[in-house]
Amino acid sequence: MSNDTTVSRIFKLIVLLLVLVVTGWLLVSISSTLTILIIAALIAYILDPLASFFVARGLSRMQATIIIFIAIAAIVAGFFAFLLPPFINELKTIETGIASGSSNQFFNDIETWITDKIPIITKENLDFQNRLLEMARNMSSSVFSIVGSMVSIVTTLVIIPFAVFFLLKDGPHMKKALVSMVPNRYFEMVLNLIYKTDLQLGGYLRGQFFDALIIGILSTIAMWILGVPYFILIGLFAGLANMIPYVGPLTGAIAAILVVVLNGGGGNLLLFVALAFIIIQLLDNVLVQPLVVAKSVDLHPLIIIFAVIIGGQFFGILGMLLAVPVTGMIKVLFGELYSSTHSYNIF
Amino acid sequence: MQENTLWSNIFRNQRQKEKSIETVLKQVPIFKDLSSREIKALERILHRRTYRDGEIIFNENEPGVGMYIIENGKVFIKSGKNEKVLAVLSNGDFFGEMALLLESPRTASAVANGPLKMLGFFQPDLFHLLETRPQTGNKILRRLAQMIAERLRQTTIENSELKNKISRYEAQRDE
Repeated sequence: MSNDTTVSRIFKLIVLLLVLVVTGWLLVSISSTLTILIIAALIAYILDPLASFFVARGLSRMQATIIIFIAIAAIVAGFFAFLLPPFINELKTIETGIASGSSNQFFNDIETWITDKIPIITKENLDFQNRLLEMARNMSSSVFSIVGSMVSIVTTLVIIPFAVFFLLKDGPHMKKALVSMVPNRYFEMVLNLIYKTDLQLGGYLRGQFFDALIIGILSTIAMWILGVPYFILIGLFAGLANMIPYVGPLTGAIAAILVVVLNGGGGNLLLFVALAFIIIQLLDNVLVQPLVVAKSVDLHPLIIIFAVIIGGQFFGILGMLLAVPVTGMIKVLFGELYSSTHSYNIF
Repeated sequence: MQENTLWSNIFRNQRQKEKSIETVLKQVPIFKDLSSREIKALERILHRRTYRDGEIIFNENEPGVGMYIIENGKVFIKSGKNEKVLAVLSNGDFFGEMALLLESPRTASAVANGPLKMLGFFQPDLFHLLETRPQTGNKILRRLAQMIAERLRQTTIENSELKNKISRYEAQRDE
């Protein structure tokens, strides 16, 4: 009897491992399509309460989705009309800014200081200016390539909104259809699992999104008031970087300080920029985060760092930004799965 | 067999043959106050499940998530290791409604007796309804509260009758 149980357990474990390996292989081989799907699903998931709000006020799910899409289209059109040209312009001026005379002197000063202090390092080893120039060139050329390449245009402008539209409109039906396929034995458990995961994850993901949005807007306004060049770019970067805990907020501030230094900004401006980011971070920690970010998903700093690295390895910068919410998602899902299988005596 | 207050459908009027979902739902006390439009909206939320003869719907002590309404077929409600049958439920009957409010382990098991068709209404669905259609959700919640109060009243009566019996028995024993 006990032998049978052991054999059955080993068999279950082998099947589980096999399923995991096949799933992993599948996920890696369709990673680019998967990124699109993850982004679309995340957007649809974040927008879902808005659709439910309209449905509660008597609209059909279709009408609610159309209203949301019209509003988003207006925002996107506004972005393209007002912000994209200066945004690309900012990227181009960063490039020329780094190559200019004032920053040339600045980099020479830093390099001389370092080589004086640490004799084993030569100026050729450092060459900060050219490295930064290379980085900026890569960044602006990648933005151009995204805007320029037909595949990216089709992906970003057609496939993602298309997927978001249907996920938002038919999301509840899809969920119900999926649940209806679950065998009776696991049905209640799966339903409970979906509900509890949604409860935790919804708050977490929406919180992350709104936090990034608020920090982005605050940083843009602060940089604009201080007269820092490329304020839109800095704001956008600070907002997105804020999604990565610990490192993100610091990266945003460093980017702003670097821009001020490269443009020959004085000590006072540097101080004000640093102060602005400290105040924004304080506001974020004291006011924004307790209000919008759910505390339920606590990730260990070590997990976050590795998740960001792995995300970067597989999906580049986008992967780094998506790493934290996706890890949060996996943590909640596995946590709930573990407690559910225990209370339903499944394994 | 004496019916169990907790598990039997004490709100049952008469045995029903297979009817449309709307008719079935309108006979369930917790949906009694809903308009036809609200019943239609509810129909979209409910989960339709089919079971084979002898298939377990839920086990005793497993976490309960919600209630079931029998569309067509029979259900045995069993309890304990010897699987004592507490109630036999059929078309139009419902069970497990306490799990809509209280997420606690099921106090009995439910097993299909013959081919069975049921409608499931679960706690997440009720909470979703309360958020998206508060009026409909509140009507259900009010009826649910009334039903649970009624069950409590009946249990209290049974409890006091039992206490009386025990004290009578003790008095007889002391004499």
